[in-house]
Amino acid sequence: MPLSKARPGHCGQIKAVNGNEKMRKFLFTLGCSEGEEVTLISVLAGNYIINVKDSRYAIDRNIAKAIELI
Amino acid sequence: MKIALAGNPNSGKTTLFNAITGRTEYVGNWPGVTVEKKEADLNRVFRRIAAKAFAEISGGAHSSGRIRVVDLPGAYSISPFTSEEAITRDFVTGENPDVIINIIDCSSLERSLFFTTQLLELGIPLVIALNKVDIIRRHGDKVDVSGLADALDCRIIEVSANDGEGLDKLVAEAVKASVQDREKLPAAGFDTAVAGAGGDEDGLDRARQAYAKTITGKYFFRKRSANEITFSDKADRVVAHPVFGLIIFALIMWGVYALSINGIGGWASGYINDVLFAEAIPDALNSFFESIGLSPILQMLIVDGAVGGVGAVLGFIPLIMVLFFCLALLEDSGYMARVAVVMDRYFKKIGLSGKSIIPMIVGTGCSIPGVMATRTIEDDTERRITTILTPFVPCGAKLPVIALFAAVFFPGATWVFPSIYLLAGLVIIAGGLLLKKIFRYEGENISSFILELPEYKLPSLKHALRQMLKQAIAFIKKAATIILVMNTLVWFMQTYGWNLRPVEDQSMSILAAIGGVAAPLLLPLGLASWQMASSIVTGFIAKENVVATLAILLASSEDALYTATGPLAEMFTPVTAFAFLAFNLFAPPCFAAVGAMNSELGGRRWIFKALLFQLGVGYAVAMLITQIGTLIVYGRPADGALASIIIAAALVGLVIAAIRIRNGKTRGISNTMREENAL
Repeated sequence: MPLSKARPGHCGQIKAVNGNEKMRKFLFTLGCSEGEEVTLISVLAGNYIINVKDSRYAIDRNIAKAIELI
Repeated sequence: MKIALAGNPNSGKTTLFNAITGRTEYVGNWPGVTVEKKEADLNRVFRRIAAKAFAEISGGAHSSGRIRVVDLPGAYSISPFTSEEAITRDFVTGENPDVIINIIDCSSLERSLFFTTQLLELGIPLVIALNKVDIIRRHGDKVDVSGLADALDCRIIEVSANDGEGLDKLVAEAVKASVQDREKLPAAGFDTAVAGAGGDEDGLDRARQAYAKTITGKYFFRKRSANEITFSDKADRVVAHPVFGLIIFALIMWGVYALSINGIGGWASGYINDVLFAEAIPDALNSFFESIGLSPILQMLIVDGAVGGVGAVLGFIPLIMVLFFCLALLEDSGYMARVAVVMDRYFKKIGLSGKSIIPMIVGTGCSIPGVMATRTIEDDTERRITTILTPFVPCGAKLPVIALFAAVFFPGATWVFPSIYLLAGLVIIAGGLLLKKIFRYEGENISSFILELPEYKLPSLKHALRQMLKQAIAFIKKAATIILVMNTLVWFMQTYGWNLRPVEDQSMSILAAIGGVAAPLLLPLGLASWQMASSIVTGFIAKENVVATLAILLASSEDALYTATGPLAEMFTPVTAFAFLAFNLFAPPCFAAVGAMNSELGGRRWIFKALLFQLGVGYAVAMLITQIGTLIVYGRPADGALASIIIAAALVGLVIAAIRIRNGKTRGISNTMREENAL
């Protein structure tokens, strides 16, 4: 299931991160990569607020779609 | 000796830098505030601490010498994602600092340690400053500092850069590390876990992440889960709400301007302008100079040229101070990242992303830091478009012009400032759409948006006051140098003719001759006088010059300049006055901002395109206002109506040609791609 389909409050493990190489690498440095845990905190103004490794990020729908959860 | 400060974005590097050097560099509570490296010496207190530490280890044999501290832009990793992260990488890998202070926001320890593992492998002595310990303590979390220090085999000091806690110890340890840790190898556990993993760069990075996770699990004790909904999360539901978010944004910006323009800032500026510089100071100076028998020409130069012009600008100091005070509070609160979230969907429509709003808000103070703030935008086209659009936001220096014109032509009207901001917003949208058509390939991937959301914090009054003073001093310096010189020159050129004799009639002066050359070009804008042309030209040097130049040219005292029946009112109609404001707003910004644009755009071709675009927009908007406005308000065509129709047609043709060229290139590219695919 892509992260974009998750409900707020859902906490899941990342199966894979798709999308372009540069963005994947950047997400990786944040700890948003295969096997890591991610929580969807809320969806605000079309952006997804996620928690990864104790930090909050806002990501847009396209990136949320590229993050595949188990 | 050189100390480098490195760490993740928004971990508090600049706050620490300011604390140990005594500087007042710009800080804010969003990731990416610092986009350039900054250098300064340790301040006196910390220099003494460093000297003591140095004496301890060397037995007093040597002195530490000069200690430079280098503040670097935040980075999540040593492999850069954006251009400001590249600055950090280049410095730590290329310039051999004697010691790196790695600042870690301990509320995101695990993520920060990834970068730490990369820094540890450089072979440069490293000291970790565990920042914001006060915050995790409040949350009830705990770090086993000595355990962590043993595991990483490096010095770790708990600090709170905000209130100075632990900084003396940090500086002392950094000095010691720079000598004692020079030949140190990475910790054994770290070495086998990371370097031992072998493989390619990706494999190494995965090993680093795994290592960071293991030691965080071992030495970080969490009382509550980070997934819990916090106060910040609850606040975000309102602040970043698609509807309320917009309303809150509008209210906040309105509040900032209400305070600085109409509120205390405007009131104090009005007092200084009307009382101090219009009457008290010129009168006092005149009687003083007469009493000492100064030559009348010199007296005129000082009183009318210097005091009249510079005074017209200096009066706006309170307004500027209040503006920067409010902006500093806003930027320190953590709100900026939220506006980016709210505005993202709208900016996506013009080919940008939410990140583009941050340079524009910073640009309400001054376009230069605004333009520099575009550096955190990853996509090149998006960054360039934001760079070109940011100066369209009325900056602090353009406010005096608006305030002057509002007072003369629309006395008592409250709609002038809001309408200017509305116009700026509309032109940014239209400009964004145009630039997207001109610069982007059809169907090119739209940009992505990702931004860390810092926790909200109570903005620091001390910081805001310091920023305010810093801006006031910078403003005075500018008035005393560049503006004073320009004014003296303007005064000289309007007083003397080509024969270097004072002229009876201003229209015979040097300035009239030069301004007269440019004036016909401004005819379709309704601004065809040499006075207006010269004030526009001096405005390119600094926008404050517009007011100063008009003050010199049109009035012997400012009092007259500000009245509705004064000389300003004879030159403009309210319609052309508004057009003048629009031209001043959208035409290329001051030279300093153009310089900033040049370094962000990279390349002469881009700055040429950018300036052409800004000039075109300024010209077109002012022309439309004058021509259509005159027709509607006075029921007659304005001067140069025919010329303006031709110019408008030419501009439209130019834009269509630019889009055609771009699309032609796109077709070219997709054709080559098709050919390649066929092969």
